[in-house]
Amino acid sequence: MDKIQMLVALSAGLFALGLLGIIVRRNVLVMLMCMELMLNGVNVMLVTFAQQAGSTAGAVLVFLVFVVAAAEIAIAIPIVLLLARRKHTLDIDAYVDLKG
Amino acid sequence: MNRLLTVIVLLPLAGFLVNGLLGNRLGKRFVSFVGCGLPLLAFAAAIVCVLDLRTGGFAPLVETAYTWAVVGDRSFDISFYFDRLTAVMVLIVTGVGSLIHIYSIGYMKDDASYARYFAYLNLFLFFMLLLVLGRSLLVLFVGWEGVGLASYLLIGFWFDDPDKARAGKKAFLTNRIGDAGFLLGMFVLYQGLGTLEMERINAAFMSGPAPAVSASLVGILLFIGACGKSAQIPLHVWLPDAMAGPTPVSALIHAATMVTAGVYLVARLSGVYTHAPEASAAIAAVGVLTAFFAATIALVQTDIKKVLAYSTISQLGLMFVALGVGAYGVAIFHLYTHAFFKACLFLGAGSVIHALGGEQDITKMGGLARKIPITFATFAVATAAIAGIPPLAGFFSKDEILWFAFASSFGGSPLLYAAAAGTALLTALYMFRLLWLTFFGASRLSDAAMHHVHESPPSMTGILIVLAALSTVGGFVALPHFLEPLLPLPEVRPERVAFETPLLFVSIALAFVGLAGAAFLYSRKGERAERLCRQFPALHRVLTGKYFVDEAYERFIDRPLFWISERVFLQFGDRKVFDGTLHGIAALGRRTAAVLTRVQNGDLHLYAFLVLAGIVASLAWSWRHG
Amino acid sequence: MIETLLLYLFAGTALLAAVAMLVLRHPMRVALALVVTMLALAGVYALLGVHVIAVFQVLIYVGAVMVFMVYVIMLLDVRDRSYVGKFSRLLVPASVGSVLLLAVLARALWQDLPAPSTAVGETAFGVQQFSIAFLNEYWLHFELVSVLLVVAIVAALAVIKAGWRDHG
Repeated sequence: MDKIQMLVALSAGLFALGLLGIIVRRNVLVMLMCMELMLNGVNVMLVTFAQQAGSTAGAVLVFLVFVVAAAEIAIAIPIVLLLARRKHTLDIDAYVDLKG
Repeated sequence: MNRLLTVIVLLPLAGFLVNGLLGNRLGKRFVSFVGCGLPLLAFAAAIVCVLDLRTGGFAPLVETAYTWAVVGDRSFDISFYFDRLTAVMVLIVTGVGSLIHIYSIGYMKDDASYARYFAYLNLFLFFMLLLVLGRSLLVLFVGWEGVGLASYLLIGFWFDDPDKARAGKKAFLTNRIGDAGFLLGMFVLYQGLGTLEMERINAAFMSGPAPAVSASLVGILLFIGACGKSAQIPLHVWLPDAMAGPTPVSALIHAATMVTAGVYLVARLSGVYTHAPEASAAIAAVGVLTAFFAATIALVQTDIKKVLAYSTISQLGLMFVALGVGAYGVAIFHLYTHAFFKACLFLGAGSVIHALGGEQDITKMGGLARKIPITFATFAVATAAIAGIPPLAGFFSKDEILWFAFASSFGGSPLLYAAAAGTALLTALYMFRLLWLTFFGASRLSDAAMHHVHESPPSMTGILIVLAALSTVGGFVALPHFLEPLLPLPEVRPERVAFETPLLFVSIALAFVGLAGAAFLYSRKGERAERLCRQFPALHRVLTGKYFVDEAYERFIDRPLFWISERVFLQFGDRKVFDGTLHGIAALGRRTAAVLTRVQNGDLHLYAFLVLAGIVASLAWSWRHG
Repeated sequence: MIETLLLYLFAGTALLAAVAMLVLRHPMRVALALVVTMLALAGVYALLGVHVIAVFQVLIYVGAVMVFMVYVIMLLDVRDRSYVGKFSRLLVPASVGSVLLLAVLARALWQDLPAPSTAVGETAFGVQQFSIAFLNEYWLHFELVSVLLVVAIVAALAVIKAGWRDHG
C-alpha cells in the first residue's frame, strides 16, 4: 500500500468513525466532537490531493474548512449550553421535542 | 295544398301550447273554443286530403316536413305519408277525437284543471296524428312514445290521489317494456334494409329477392311493442288500472285511438307479416287467448268502467286474430266500428257516472232506464252493436273476423274460430249483463240518490246520439273493400267456402243467445246469477281476481327485482364496492402515513443512521450502474 | 525511509485515537483523544510538506476549537444518563452500516489513484506563497470568510443574550 492509498484509507476511516460516533454515542458533546472528527477526515483527503497536485487552491480550501469549522463550533456549543440548561441533561434522548 | 298534412299534425300542437300556456288566464270558454275548434279544423283538413287522394287516383301523398338528422350519407327525415289506410285512421282519430273533445266540455265543466285537461288532450291528438301520418318507423315511434306520455299524463290527471298517479305510472312502465321489443325490431330492420320508411320496407319484402332480414323475427319484435300499446297478454295489466283517468280520456285513448296503434302498426307493415307465417300465427294465438281471457274476466266485474276496459282488451284481441290470419283490412274495419260503439259506451258510462254523482259500481245501480232515457237508448244501441246484432256496425266487422278466422288459408282453423266464437258469445253475455244491471230491474240506489239522478247536458247527450247513429250505420261502409288495393284480403280455403252462410247465421245466433242468457240470469233480481256464482266459487274467485296476473307479476318480477336492487346493487355494489373502494383508498393513505410518521420521532440518532444508510445505498447503486 | 515510517506512525495514532474516542466514557477523555487525533494529523500534514496547513491545524483546531470544547465540558455536569449508558440503541445496525460504508468507500477510492510524486518543492506550501495566493487570487474567499466570522460572533452574542433572558 503506498502513501496515497494509506492516506485515503485514513481519511475514509476517520470519516466512517466520525459518522458511527454520531449514531452510537448519547452524550451531545461527544456527538459534536465526532462531527469534528468527520471534518478532519475530509481535510486529510483534501490535503493529500492538494499536495499531489501542487495546487495552492487546495491549501486555501483547507484553510476555509478550518474557518468554517471554527465558526460552526462557536455557535453549536452555546446552543448545546442552552439546551442542557433547559433539559438538565446532556443525553440526546431527552431532546425529542421535534417529533411527529 | 302541399303542406296540408303538416298542418293537420300541427293544429293540435298549437292547441296544446295555447291552452297549456295561456289557458288558465283566458277562461273556460276560450279553452273550450280552442281545444275543440282545432281538432275540428284538423278533421276538415283531413277530409280535404281524402278528396285530394281521390282525385289523384289514390296515389299516396308524401310531404317532408323537416330533415332531422344527416349521418354520413344517410338522412332521417320527418315526413308524412297519406294513403288509404292513413285516410281511415286520420278520419277516425280527428273525427271521434273531436266528438270526445266536445263531450269533455260538459263532463269536465266543474274541474279546476280544465285548461290543463284540454292541453293534454290536444297533445295526445298531436302525437297520435304523428303516429298515423308518419312515413318512417322513426316518426311513428316518436308518436308512439308521445301517446304513451299523454296517456300517463291523462290517467294520472287527478294526481293528488296516489292510486291514480300509480295507475299512470303502471301504464307508462308496461308500455316501455313493449317499446324495447319495438326498438329491437327497428334496429333489425334498419340494419337489414337500410331504411325505416314503411312503404319501402313493405316493398322490400313484397317484391324482389328475400331480404337478409328474418321477417318473422321483425314481426315478433314489433308485435311485442304492439302488445304493450294494445294491451295484449302479457302486457295487458295497465288498461284496467287506466280507468282511473277521466271517462272521456278512457273513451278516446283507451278505446278508440291509442290502443289501436298496435293494430295499425301491424296492418301498415302487412308486407312484412305476409312473409312471416310464424309471427302471424303467434299474433293470432295471442290475440284469441287475450280475447277469451279478457271476456271471462269482464263477466264478473262490478265497476262499469272496468267491464268496458276488459271488453276493449277482448275486442283488440279479436282485431289481432284478424291480423294474424292475414285479413288486415278486416282488422281495420273492426277498429273503425269499435271506435264508434266503444266510445259511445264509455261516454255513456260517463253520463251514468255524472248522473249518479260519481257512483261506478253496477251492483249499486239499476232502474235507470226511465230516469236517463237518452243515455239509456244510446247505451243500448252501442251494446247491441258490440254484441253483433245485425244490421248494426259491430255485426259486420265481427262476422268478417270470425269468417276469416275459420277460412283463411294463412292460418285460419276451426279451433281459432271456436275460440273467437266463444269470445263473441261471452261478449254479448257480459255486455247485456252490464246493460241489465245498470238500467233495468229494481233500483238498488237509495231514494235520495235516485232523486238526484238527472240527464246530462246536451253537449254530452248530443255526442252520444251522434256516436250511436254511427254505430248503427257505420257497418254499411265497405271498408275492407276500400282498403283492398293496399291490404289484400287473404285467400279462402276452397273446402271451407261453403260454410260462409251457415257461419253468418251462427254469428247472429251467438248475439241473441248472449242477450237471452243475460236476461235469463239477471232478471228477477239476479237470483239465478247468484246461484250460479255459488255453485262455482273457485272459478268465481279466479275470475274476480283477474286470474291473479298482477299478483304473479308482483311476486315473480317485482320482488326479485327489488331484492336485486336493494341487496346486490345498493348494499353490495354501491356501499361495499364503490364506497368501500374509495374509503379503502383513503384508509390506505391514512395507514401508510401513520406508518411513515414513525420515522420522524425526534431521535437524532435515527436521522443520522438513515443518512448513513442513504449514503451507502446511493454509493452502492451508483457503482452497480456505472 | 524514516519519513515513511513516521507517516505511518502518525496515521496509525490518529486512527487509534479516533477509535478511542468512540469507546471512552468520560467526555473529557474523549476530548483529549480528539486532541491526540488532531495533533497526529498535524504531523501527517507536516510530513507531507504542507507546513502552513499543519500550523493552522494546531492553531485553529487544537488551540481554539478543542479548548472551547474542554471549557464547556468542564462547565457542564457530565455525570448523567449518557454517562451511565453511553451507547444508543442503534449500536449494532450502525456498526454494520459503517462497515458497509467503509467497504463502499474503499471500493470507490482505491482504484485509479494517481501515483505518488515526491517532486514537490518545500516552498510550494510556504507561508509566503500561501498568503500571496490567498490575498491575491482568492481574495473573494478571504472576504467571505471574514463575513462568516462576523456572523458567527453576532450569533454567539445573540445566543448569550437569549441565555441571559432565560435566567435573568
